[in-house]
Amino acid sequence: MTDEQTNETLLEVDAISLSFGGVHALVDVSFDIRKGEVRSIIGPNGAGKSSMLNVINGFYHPQEGTITYQGQARKQMRPHDAAAGGIARTFQNIALFKGMSTLDNIMTGRNTHMSKSLFWQALRIGPAQREEIENREFVEHVIDFLEIQSIRKTPVGRLPYGLQKRVELGRALAAEPTLLLLDEPMAGMNLEEKEDMSRFILETNDEFGTTIALIEHDMGVVMDISDRVVVLDYGRKIAEGTPEEVRANQDVIDAYLGVSHD
Amino acid sequence: MAFDIFLLEVIISGLMTGVMYALVALGFVLIFKASGIFNFAQGVMALFAALALYDFLAEDGWFFAVFGFTLPVWLAIPATGLIMVVLAWVIERTVLRFMVKQNEIILFMATIGLAFVLEGLGDILFGSDVKPLDIGIPQGASDWLLDNFNLYIEQLEIFAAGTAAVLVVVLAIFFQRTRIGRALRAVADDHQAALSVGVSLDKIWVIVWSVSGIVALVAGIMWGSKSGVQFSLSLIALKALPVLILGGFTSVPGAIVGGLIIGVGEKLAEVYIGPMVGGAIENWFAYMLALAFLLFRPQGLFGERIIERV
Amino acid sequence: MGNSLELQGDTFPQLLLQRLKHDAERPAMREKAYGIWQTWTLGELCEESFALAAGLADLGFARNDTLVIIGDNRPRLYGSMIAAQALGGVPVPAYQDSVAEEIQYVVDHAEARFIIAENQEQVDKALEIKEQCPRVAFVIYCDPKGLRKYDPQVVMDIQTVMARGRELLKADPDKVNAEIQKGKSSDTSIILYTSGTTGRPKGVVLSHENLLVTARNTNAFDGITAEEEVLAYLPMAWVGDNVFSFAMGFVAGFCVNCPESTNTVAQDLREIGPTFYFAPPRVFESVLTSVMIRMKDAGRLKRSLFDHFMKVAKKTGVALMDGQSVPAWDRFHYWLGELLVYGPLKNTLGLSRVRVAYTAGEAIGPEIFEFYRSLGINLKQLYGQTEATVFITMQPDGVVRSESVGTPPPGVEVRIEENGEVVYRSPGVFKEYFKNPEATAETKTSDNWVHTGDAGYFDDEGHLRIIDRAKDVGKLNDSSMFAPKFLENKLKFFPEIKEVVTFGDQRDFVTAFINIDLDAVGNWAERNNVAYASYQELAAHPEVYALVQGCIEQVNQSLAQDSHLSSSQIRRFLILHKELDPDDGELTRTRKVRRRIINERYGDLIEALFDGRTNCFVSTEVMFEDGRQGQIEADLEIRDAAVSQEPSRAAA
Repeated sequence: MTDEQTNETLLEVDAISLSFGGVHALVDVSFDIRKGEVRSIIGPNGAGKSSMLNVINGFYHPQEGTITYQGQARKQMRPHDAAAGGIARTFQNIALFKGMSTLDNIMTGRNTHMSKSLFWQALRIGPAQREEIENREFVEHVIDFLEIQSIRKTPVGRLPYGLQKRVELGRALAAEPTLLLLDEPMAGMNLEEKEDMSRFILETNDEFGTTIALIEHDMGVVMDISDRVVVLDYGRKIAEGTPEEVRANQDVIDAYLGVSHD
Repeated sequence: MAFDIFLLEVIISGLMTGVMYALVALGFVLIFKASGIFNFAQGVMALFAALALYDFLAEDGWFFAVFGFTLPVWLAIPATGLIMVVLAWVIERTVLRFMVKQNEIILFMATIGLAFVLEGLGDILFGSDVKPLDIGIPQGASDWLLDNFNLYIEQLEIFAAGTAAVLVVVLAIFFQRTRIGRALRAVADDHQAALSVGVSLDKIWVIVWSVSGIVALVAGIMWGSKSGVQFSLSLIALKALPVLILGGFTSVPGAIVGGLIIGVGEKLAEVYIGPMVGGAIENWFAYMLALAFLLFRPQGLFGERIIERV
Repeated sequence: MGNSLELQGDTFPQLLLQRLKHDAERPAMREKAYGIWQTWTLGELCEESFALAAGLADLGFARNDTLVIIGDNRPRLYGSMIAAQALGGVPVPAYQDSVAEEIQYVVDHAEARFIIAENQEQVDKALEIKEQCPRVAFVIYCDPKGLRKYDPQVVMDIQTVMARGRELLKADPDKVNAEIQKGKSSDTSIILYTSGTTGRPKGVVLSHENLLVTARNTNAFDGITAEEEVLAYLPMAWVGDNVFSFAMGFVAGFCVNCPESTNTVAQDLREIGPTFYFAPPRVFESVLTSVMIRMKDAGRLKRSLFDHFMKVAKKTGVALMDGQSVPAWDRFHYWLGELLVYGPLKNTLGLSRVRVAYTAGEAIGPEIFEFYRSLGINLKQLYGQTEATVFITMQPDGVVRSESVGTPPPGVEVRIEENGEVVYRSPGVFKEYFKNPEATAETKTSDNWVHTGDAGYFDDEGHLRIIDRAKDVGKLNDSSMFAPKFLENKLKFFPEIKEVVTFGDQRDFVTAFINIDLDAVGNWAERNNVAYASYQELAAHPEVYALVQGCIEQVNQSLAQDSHLSSSQIRRFLILHKELDPDDGELTRTRKVRRRIINERYGDLIEALFDGRTNCFVSTEVMFEDGRQGQIEADLEIRDAAVSQEPSRAAA
């Protein structure tokens, strides 16, 4: 949807298979994510959507297949390498640092942008001090962007659910990601919160050109904000295309209606 | 009046002992906070650090045997610090790395094993005789306090208290205001989320163990200066346990306050209750206090109360 | 600087040009952005404003054009007011939380071609109404977030307009100055739309003179200087903000601080620590409530400390502030409280530096008012309206009461009309209602007296008391004033009483219908072993009657204290057998009594109240929740309530 959107591929998953013991979570799944697009992964519960995100950011290591990210083909990656490579994410069940303030949580998102050695940090002088200030400045822009100034110093454990989701998005944005993975960013939200979240996602994509891959249950939202959709069912890809194409696809309709997993 | 001075002396000397306890407890808290591991080897690490430091300073050590000279104090301390960092790295590589997803009790057992290994290693490398550690901390009572207030207080204890205070301030700043400190807190809070923002767990382990190794070094210096470097030093780990129960396992200020309470408590008990029951209260008073706490306030004075949002 | 200098200038831009000569480096405005307080010196503020003015002129903004401003309090929005005024135009701030329709009325009525909007939210509203208001040509925004894809011919960044202005000023540095010099004190400074209780909003036109003279007088009245700190957090479209933040600020030369966002006001207040502060009663009330809740959750020691010292404060605090003599021990006790409780509390509330605080707009509960004053916060009341450029009466330091609103400040004359209505004349009296000569003529007499629509009187101390809307006030047969709502509200302060209707217009005395509150009285009944099966039974219970009678007699006693109100004491009352209900048309949906319907339905009961009967049969048609119609019948007891005779204060 962005102006920067091109047909250049940012990430390609090729014939990925993943199983835990005898359970097949993903079977021979292939698709690509283009630079600058909003790509949705949908499917009934247990279709393997979260597993797919976990493979992309290195939490799971697939048995088969390759992932090509920014032109580099890899069998698997470790989570902190993924983060260093510009992949940030949020979690279905909010994984924030509950005891830390909103500000500190988002500051952790800057982790990959801060490099000054432990020595300088321990002294808190010179380059480390400057680095801390520069990053704080960036984080303040994120806080402004997400309109969460009033909870800057609040421990996130005390925030309502909708705001926690927003802080989690903030932490991911603070990393200035190339690829942003969102695992059900709107789960459990009311209509107003969903609208806010959609707005933030679209603006992120729009203003910063961030490529976004998201899992979402709310079909209305998916159809509204996605450029392209991939549909998984029982760990297999059953359809792919624009929201309109997917909506009209008989396999997809069957997966959602005929075979009721929900 | 004389009685008051005596009481004051008892309290102050209790406080000073408490600081020593607190230093050891601090090392426990750091590791527990960041990884949920109760590091049984913390006491042995203090001993090991003191032994290594002694080795750099003394003419009967390995270092002198190999290089033919000893290190001055200002170099020996950083060198020992370096050894503790290397030790942390080795522990991560050889032990922790393979136990990432294990049960806490298994990790605890691993640290007991680690304690024996380190103790044995210390014995083999440095021998088991008591070694005097002198890094130039003034010994004896403070004349100034004696002259002006008629108080008898060891200068070493004052020095230890000052060092502990500085250490706590530095640690607090480190935890609250730096990236690594934030990352440490993040790991303590949620492993998966920490991974997703690019925190590398391996590195964090090494850093935590290094920091607590350095805290162990400080504790080792203080205890070593006070009563010589000896293997009974590793037993102060057992005194740290009641301190932690009092202060809470996850709280840095808790470790300090807990240490002070135990220190003062056992000295007072020794002096005022001791004669009634035949003395030696100092040996078990701390555990009784801890027991009482377990009954009435199991999370400790400063432990995290778990607040569930409704 | 500030008051000490005799400031020249007939308009705000002229005043600022004067002040620039001495005060260019002084901080004029601050705004918290990205977590840091950013400061605009007077020089910077003027530079931006004049650049904006030049840019606006280039877009075709001309003398007498209106500039609608929508947004939270922001230095740039205040700056855009200056910009409009510099060109001889008129800023028209609109309430930022209004829906598009409401803003549309303002934009349309003010014939605005230019809108300045703070952010995307406001721009969206402006564009939504643009369809209906074809005159609107330009929408200028301050915060570019989310606005990249809007039509740049219509929607533009304020920075772009300023940049264009700066270019033009480079070529012709005197461009804006020349326009400023053309300004006259009678020029319109601002148009403020007031949402009247009835009908469409009216645009109150205030001149530069109105605002400048009022600001000077008020600054002198309360000793406001350039050293004040003020937080501008109330809507810019409200006259109070324009007077307190804009006019008084520029005249006195103090710095005005804008909060980071509406949600952070409490934190910003703490950081700024204002010395001059205004808040409507509901803000003081909700702050007090949250303090009380927090104290309830606090530990026992903290709570008993708080309770103890609040008692001390109640005893000593107000007397100390009013400069009365206080025994040394009490003084010490209060000082201790300041150290342990009041100081820390005021600090958390952000009120520790307050020198003068005002509240107005509605009646403030006496206990709330006393709470703040006993803490040593100089909270005062004023009475005012947009048409007066705020001030009609104010409480001078040292004579502050919770039930009255003070005396007219220098320059203001106040009179009570025959029908009890308060009228005034002052240098702040508005020019007119914009494009509404009929309304102007109705409100303002030819010799500049303005009708407030409020009924009131001067009490024995000479302080004005406002009791009701003038149109609701009637007269007893002894020609003393009868203010039904005033009486009703007084009774409704009792938790046991839910609704009250009083009667007395053109009667010999006052009577009342009472509705009890089922929860409160039911509770009371349980505690006192009063058995009942229905609302009707409870309402008719003799002990309940006694309870209500007690409440009424308490009110009567307090009415007797005041010579103007003592004949309004309630002599007879009855407790209705059913709750007044919006479904039966007896109340409006907002729970206001519909007197006409009540008079029709319960005519016989009303007569019974006045003709001395001790009971009266009534049968009412009611609508049940499932929509069925039904009858409720009852024989209601009518009771006399004791009347207090002489003001007990007479002795004093």
